[in-house]
Amino acid sequence: MQKNNSVIGQERIQKKLKQRYRAEKRFRRLGLFAVITALSFLAILLISISSKGYTAFQQTYIKLEIPLSHEILDVKNLANADYPGLVKASLRQMFPDVKGRRDKRKLYGLVSTGAAFELQDRIIEDPTLIGEKISMWVPASSDVDMFMKGQIPKNVSENERRIKDNEIEWIDWLQQEERIEKRFNTVFFTAGDSRDPELSGIRGALSGSIFTLFITLLLSFPIGAATAVYLEEFAPKNKWTDLIEVNINNLAAVPSIVFGLLGLAVFINFFGLPRSVPLVGGLVLTLMTLPTIIIAGRAALKAVPPSIREAALGVGASPMQTVLHHVLPLAMPGMLTGTIIGMAQALGETAPLLMIGMVAFIVDVPGSFTDPSTVLPVQIFLWADSPERGFMERTSAAIMVLLVFLITMNAVAIFLRKRFERRW
Amino acid sequence: MESIMDIEGATLADNISMTLEQQAMASDQEAIKKKTIVSREDRRTVGEIYTEDPRMTCRNVNVHYGDNHAIIDANIDIGRNEVLAMIGPSGCGKSTFLRCLNRMNDTVEGCRVTGEITLDGQDIHGKNIDVVPLRAQIGMVFQKPNPFPKSIFDNVAYGPKIHGLASNKSDLEEIVETSLQKAGLWEEVKDRLNLPGTGLSGGQQQRLCIARAIAVSPEVILMDEPCSALDPIATARIEELIAELRKQYSIVIVTHSMQQAARVSGRTAYFHLGDLIEVGETERVFTNPRHQLTEDYITGRFG
Amino acid sequence: MLKKTAALAAAAIIAVSAGTASAARDYINIVGSSTVYPFATVVAEQFGKTTHFKTPKIESTGSGGGMKLFCAGVGVEHPDITNASRRIKKSEFDKCQGNGVTDILEVKIGYDGIVLANSKKSSPMKLSRKDIFLALAKDIPDPSGAEKLIPNPHQTWHDVNPALPNIKIEVLGPPPTSGTRDAFVELVMEGGGKKIGWIKAMKKKDKKAYKRICHTVREDGAYIEAGENDNLIVQKLNANPNAIGIFGFSFLDQNSDVIQGSIVDGVEPTFEAIADGQYPVSRPLYFYAKKAHIGMVPGLSEYLNEFSSEKAWGEEGYLTDRGMIPMPDSERKQMRNDVKTLRNLEM
Repeated sequence: MQKNNSVIGQERIQKKLKQRYRAEKRFRRLGLFAVITALSFLAILLISISSKGYTAFQQTYIKLEIPLSHEILDVKNLANADYPGLVKASLRQMFPDVKGRRDKRKLYGLVSTGAAFELQDRIIEDPTLIGEKISMWVPASSDVDMFMKGQIPKNVSENERRIKDNEIEWIDWLQQEERIEKRFNTVFFTAGDSRDPELSGIRGALSGSIFTLFITLLLSFPIGAATAVYLEEFAPKNKWTDLIEVNINNLAAVPSIVFGLLGLAVFINFFGLPRSVPLVGGLVLTLMTLPTIIIAGRAALKAVPPSIREAALGVGASPMQTVLHHVLPLAMPGMLTGTIIGMAQALGETAPLLMIGMVAFIVDVPGSFTDPSTVLPVQIFLWADSPERGFMERTSAAIMVLLVFLITMNAVAIFLRKRFERRW
Repeated sequence: MESIMDIEGATLADNISMTLEQQAMASDQEAIKKKTIVSREDRRTVGEIYTEDPRMTCRNVNVHYGDNHAIIDANIDIGRNEVLAMIGPSGCGKSTFLRCLNRMNDTVEGCRVTGEITLDGQDIHGKNIDVVPLRAQIGMVFQKPNPFPKSIFDNVAYGPKIHGLASNKSDLEEIVETSLQKAGLWEEVKDRLNLPGTGLSGGQQQRLCIARAIAVSPEVILMDEPCSALDPIATARIEELIAELRKQYSIVIVTHSMQQAARVSGRTAYFHLGDLIEVGETERVFTNPRHQLTEDYITGRFG
Repeated sequence: MLKKTAALAAAAIIAVSAGTASAARDYINIVGSSTVYPFATVVAEQFGKTTHFKTPKIESTGSGGGMKLFCAGVGVEHPDITNASRRIKKSEFDKCQGNGVTDILEVKIGYDGIVLANSKKSSPMKLSRKDIFLALAKDIPDPSGAEKLIPNPHQTWHDVNPALPNIKIEVLGPPPTSGTRDAFVELVMEGGGKKIGWIKAMKKKDKKAYKRICHTVREDGAYIEAGENDNLIVQKLNANPNAIGIFGFSFLDQNSDVIQGSIVDGVEPTFEAIADGQYPVSRPLYFYAKKAHIGMVPGLSEYLNEFSSEKAWGEEGYLTDRGMIPMPDSERKQMRNDVKTLRNLEM
């Protein structure tokens, strides 16, 4: 009887075993599926962004021959000379057959309005050029650029494309003469915002982001770490600390725009700090990231085994020495992870910056914490909202820059974490 | 009260007005004479609580964790150069009591210690006593080896560094070397002092922890089940070490193993549910317990 | 140690910047309408590149938000100019006066057309404002002729007007926070509602109810709020040839290769038709400047000059390249004169 029972038991176990293995396989497949799905979405995102954006790293240039006559350029009054006129004259010279106002306007539209600015800069830098005939490469207008990159199809009827037939003829001629070519788009990395896609660059927003995040990191990490250490290691456990804890947890879930409102009320209206500057942006983002850093920091401190604290106290370390020499170094990787999550959030934030005026058109590249500036996600938003077609590729390119920035930031954090990380 | 009357009769009843010390001695002598065993219900300490020239004295020590009365009126002395073993079933309060001796319980939320504990005649809870140097005087070794995640050298050097015991680098190196030698670890690690302490075997780690405690020249070393995580060979090494260290330090060791207590200690204290039941010379306690609970425990009836 | 230095540095930065905050501002601060933003930014950039002044900073806050900031007071911490896609309201003007912003220069800069457009893949729509009202209002008059409202039953354009094609009503438009939406309901919806006699009569009797009828857009999915991003609307139109989008003329102008404007009340939304006022749905654009800031903020009067120059807002000016509809010659002359003499706004 007993033997029978154990045989039946074994059979049941065998039967159940198969089921258990099946369940295990299902679970693993589900996990694998989830990972693959996530990865493929990521791949789709990256591919679609980079396939749209890579063209922005190239820009079409046109070579102009410009005679710099003394009549037009007065050495004493170089700032007010008619540089656009010089550019236009040069274009007319290249295409002497173009007649009529409408066609001439189109002809002038081949090169960017930035061409005149470049000419101006060059002459002011070296006034000895006046009297000579110079040849220079100037950026083509956005429409020509789009056409050269194949984003305006040739084989549709004329009124369905922004580049008309006669313009295509001109471009073809330029190509024959090797006066038009695509080059690496340095402007994109050296210029600030512009309303002309071909003159716009990411540098202003990038500098703004760097300044803003620098302030955020400088303030939020020490304050966050200190708060976490105090709450976790020193504060008595009572109603008040409980209340603080609940509040910090709630703050982490507050919509970021609320921090923008707070920043507007406190930093701008009360302290009178200027609008649209990275300093205020950094302060607002500090408020936003602090809860994340504090919560992550406390979790990291909690994860440090109590035996380490006991060991330190046991040899007579004071509570502060215990924390600074032993607990904090062990919690540092976790704290850094929390900080980097917070910083990544801050990097991608636009809503709170709207309230403090950082969603703005700013051409000049900011040079300090109190220069008006914008940040990368805001730049992306502004470009995505611009009517000019050329901004579409810039938008994708800006997203690429933002992602590279993010990856760099994460890489630095991982590097730091590896250096701090110790086994126990 | 009635139960005491029943067993020890009028003698004890007469002695109620005596001092605690006299009382205890009287009851001891009575017990020896009569060879009676104190009943389970009597929770007063029997045996030789006091020593001549004690290093530490504990009087009426009570510990509360919130509502939980963890140690009830414990009285015990710790002599110079003696090894005192504390035994008892799990949760009896022996570790708690041990942690009172260097005020480690200060760090525990909601823990309240009353009564008087002295080290060399000084109340360790006294106003002029700083807990930080106190913990240097009364070193501690924990249940699980817990070296710092630093190099072997730094592990031992940390205490002397923060207390300023070494005036220069060679001093420090000397302290580290002697401490490791005393802990019997020097020969094994002298060539790899810069490797992490966490890379050593369990037994070596525990000896490293002992070296770390020794490095700040304590007077008393508290050991909280130091061998519970170690294999028998490592345990034997630690036990040898304890015998060696006894020459210089007072050692209090909490252990689950009665054999270990018997091997290493000179005196043994038996705790039961927060009460200090019996204290006496180890041999006597194990061969001739006077309290019913002690006998039950050492004969393996529970625990 | 590192942390201490960092904290000190932070404190120093805050102290320094708090100190400089109250000092003078060397760039022009502009806020206001998102409709004027694409035009103002072009002027600002041109101004920044051709003069030695810094490029003005322009925030797109919406007309109302801009007025609020503008009217908060005089001083470098307040904006110098606010853009608006409508005229300043009496209440806003009063608030300005109350806060010491007494001398305001009002400049009308041109017109913006609101267009309805669909993909070039399908044929252009010929709509009247009444059709649009009947297609998009939440409640419409009972078709039987009685003077009462029924929830909008129309599913296709054919339901609205038998002359229209039998396709589903799908209109992508801006959300209520947008100035374009305000203008759309005011100019198109209200314009269509007025065509119905008894509703027009209501305007005098019960203005509130009249506005409610004309300004409430249906919420059953026929009108799709597509966010403030007009580029997105263009992309969606391209994907769905049956849908119609609502946006500013500049987006039609820039994307004329993929979308076509619907004919409204018989007029095609071309540059010329909007400029001479034939196209029924256009609105004037303005900016307001603080006279007290002229001289206080470097470059302000030069900026006003640049904006009101022929090369900017003229018929051939660079603003027209961006889709802004210029004012007639006489009006431009008048406005240019206002800028020169800094004529004070009075209400």
